[in-house]
Amino acid sequence: MRKPLASTACLVLSLILGLSVAARPLPAQEGQAGIDELKKTALRVFLDCDYCDIEYIKTEITFVNYVRDRLEAQVHVLITTQATGGGGREYTLAFIGQNDCRDLADTQKYFSSKTDTEDDVRRGLVKALKLGLMSYVGRTPIACRIAVDYTRPDAAGPGRDRWDSWVFSLSGSGYFSGQATYMSRMVDASFSANRVTPASKLRFGFSVDSSKRRYEIEEEVITGTRSSWDASGLFVKSLGEHWSAGVFVEAESSLYSNVDLGLSAAPAVEYNVFPYSQSTRRQLRLLYTLAVKPVKYREETVYAKTRETLFQESLAATLDLREKWGTVSVSAEGSHYFHDFSKNRLDVFGIVNLRLYKGLSVFVLYGRSWIRDQLALLGREPTFEEQILRLRELPMNSNYFISVGFQFTFGSIFTNVINPRFGSSGGGGMGIHID
Amino acid sequence: MKTRPVKAAALAAVVAFALVIPAGSQVPPPPPAGPPPPPIVRVFLDWPGGDIEFFKAEIPFVEFVPGQEEAQVRVVIAPQGPPGAGPITISFFGLKEFEGENNTLTYSSAPGDKPEDVRRGIAGLVKLGLLRYAGKTPAAKDLSVRFLDQAKPTSVVDKYDFWVFSLSANAFLMGETQFEEGMYYGSFSANRVTPELKVRTSVSGNFSKSKFDFGEGEVYESRSHGYGFSGLVVKSLGEHWSAGAFLSAQSSTYSNLKLSLTAAPAVEFDLFPYSESTKRQLRILYRLGFTRARYNEETIYFKTSESLLQGALSCAYEVVRPWGRASLTLEGSHYFHDFAKNRLELEASVEFRVWRGLSFEIDGGYARIRDQIALSAGGATYEEILLRQRELSTGYSYSFSVGLNFSFGSTRSNVVNPRFGNGGRSISISM
Repeated sequence: MRKPLASTACLVLSLILGLSVAARPLPAQEGQAGIDELKKTALRVFLDCDYCDIEYIKTEITFVNYVRDRLEAQVHVLITTQATGGGGREYTLAFIGQNDCRDLADTQKYFSSKTDTEDDVRRGLVKALKLGLMSYVGRTPIACRIAVDYTRPDAAGPGRDRWDSWVFSLSGSGYFSGQATYMSRMVDASFSANRVTPASKLRFGFSVDSSKRRYEIEEEVITGTRSSWDASGLFVKSLGEHWSAGVFVEAESSLYSNVDLGLSAAPAVEYNVFPYSQSTRRQLRLLYTLAVKPVKYREETVYAKTRETLFQESLAATLDLREKWGTVSVSAEGSHYFHDFSKNRLDVFGIVNLRLYKGLSVFVLYGRSWIRDQLALLGREPTFEEQILRLRELPMNSNYFISVGFQFTFGSIFTNVINPRFGSSGGGGMGIHID
Repeated sequence: MKTRPVKAAALAAVVAFALVIPAGSQVPPPPPAGPPPPPIVRVFLDWPGGDIEFFKAEIPFVEFVPGQEEAQVRVVIAPQGPPGAGPITISFFGLKEFEGENNTLTYSSAPGDKPEDVRRGIAGLVKLGLLRYAGKTPAAKDLSVRFLDQAKPTSVVDKYDFWVFSLSANAFLMGETQFEEGMYYGSFSANRVTPELKVRTSVSGNFSKSKFDFGEGEVYESRSHGYGFSGLVVKSLGEHWSAGAFLSAQSSTYSNLKLSLTAAPAVEFDLFPYSESTKRQLRILYRLGFTRARYNEETIYFKTSESLLQGALSCAYEVVRPWGRASLTLEGSHYFHDFAKNRLELEASVEFRVWRGLSFEIDGGYARIRDQIALSAGGATYEEILLRQRELSTGYSYSFSVGLNFSFGSTRSNVVNPRFGNGGRSISISM
């Protein structure tokens, strides 16, 4: 008997059940045992998404098998996101065929809007995921049990955009916590107006925030306060797939940094080694900025200034990669002032998360700054509370953080089961999400 | 130079603007005259002798065109062997904007299949194969894909019988000239989750230290650690009931515990079927905990060790719906040796979309605390209090946050423009 390799469909089932006649669609009387047999040969999927509602996806899409390691899968679904001009998100679903589906790749997209609820987003993602998976599911026997429904849309097409791509957003939040001897309060508010098109990008934003902590220690009350506001604007013009030019403007005030009013205007130019159209998966951007900054300080600085105008240049390089073997994000930024070249700083940051081998993943997070440009430091000695509660910027030459970790998982490769009893805690695994 | 009045004026203008605009945006835009029909995928079906009319009826979400010139997808249907027997190959070739998006599916008919069964089977696969293209057109929102059956998630061939083991270790160090901090964490877990039984076990440990340099040789150093074991076994008893037990062993400098061992049998009732848990749940859990505790320092009740029996009842309601989500948890507990040693906690969280563009979220929690039996009699130092390294005596604790978000303007702003970055990078790590 000839037995084709792929998609023997219900034939396999009929052989297993020993039925002499098999037909599509599956006759109802073959029952649950037949479906469970089909499920055993269902598509093996590795879902690579750090911020999806995985449990919901698994309860809605039950015609595939979910595995916890990418190498076991027939399709690796890599989901990456980017912010859209409207404040929503663009979800890019890259379907990467593997093993016997190596020849098949696809990309689907789903767009959420800023005010979509969690349920809107997860339903939209499930739909995009289902549409993309069908090309693969069509190769498995379970395909004969999939139905596609289509509701003909009303005639009304999309209208004209009378806002001309402008999007405005106003938000505010407050956070309050406390107990008998401790109280903390944080409030912030912001407004933004953005117009993002492929040809240019305009962003305006204004934000204020304030926080206060209060401790009671043996009849003594200690309070710590921080407050700041910031207004900023950005205009960027697109110059082809690799170049952009624009200008940053900013006005800010911060108690922590001893700045009463700091203004900045900075023309800038950027080069991306990869085409901008691949930005959700890979970017290597070099940004050069030249800034003029008039500053007025709250208190006299260590350099005995109360106001000054500074000229600064900076160069930043950023590499972001999101591939099926992991995530790499590395950046370095250097800057100096023109009135004194020894007033400079260098910041490096890197995060690497690799899926090395079956079940083994490692990550390294590293950041280090060499700081020789603290022009705004207080002229006086900060108080004990200002130091320990970190209310004021303190003199420093460098700071760093480093984190390393690994995770090794073995055992069952299937992760189909959702069991919400006694609460669903700690799914395990680690996710690193870069926006 | 700008000063504070400028800022106040700007804010006032922003508020006024925000109040004026939404009134206007409530009016729907007038539908433009003679809208073009929504674009759907144009398909050329290359099947000499095939019944095109049948396909048109079966697959309404694409438009079948007679030639390849205007088509976006070409579908070739060809038998692999002699006609009427053997598998049939269905090849998809993307054209124009779908250039390079190709796929091949195979249909195998069973002996005894009637011609209309074969035709329907082929149409079913053509339908699935075309969905990837339809997903890239506005027609995607009118399509839905359904699985006609319920399959057990455990219908797989698994040599590990659903056991998953995981080992992880992390270190985090940071510092600047006058401040240093280090944290280390390690854990091992073994879990087996099936619809009938859930088993979760883990051992973990953490250690942290921080160092402040106040200058002139004045240095403050602190260390804290914790380690523990936790286990959970839950047996499913139908769609509404579960029974199980929590087990734990814990040591913590923050909580003044040298070693605390707990075993707590528990029973849970969900008013809604568990199968609806991603949409709504109302779970009521009662647990009875036996604890043997040894303390690092003598407690305010002059104990260095004791045995405790505690009863706890909790009720959790969660709902996720198109309008947003809500959750509410109420938990009360008391010790049996002294009913006055009790605690009541309430937590609530709501995200609500009031109207297109306007949403708010509220999170809050309040606890009435009368059961801090492990507090150290020695108290805490000034630095430990400021750095929140020791549990302190309190009768209550609360936290509350509220956020409001209002957006208006263009609704067709799905443009991604990554130039100059997307307004700062945020990196979050979840474990």
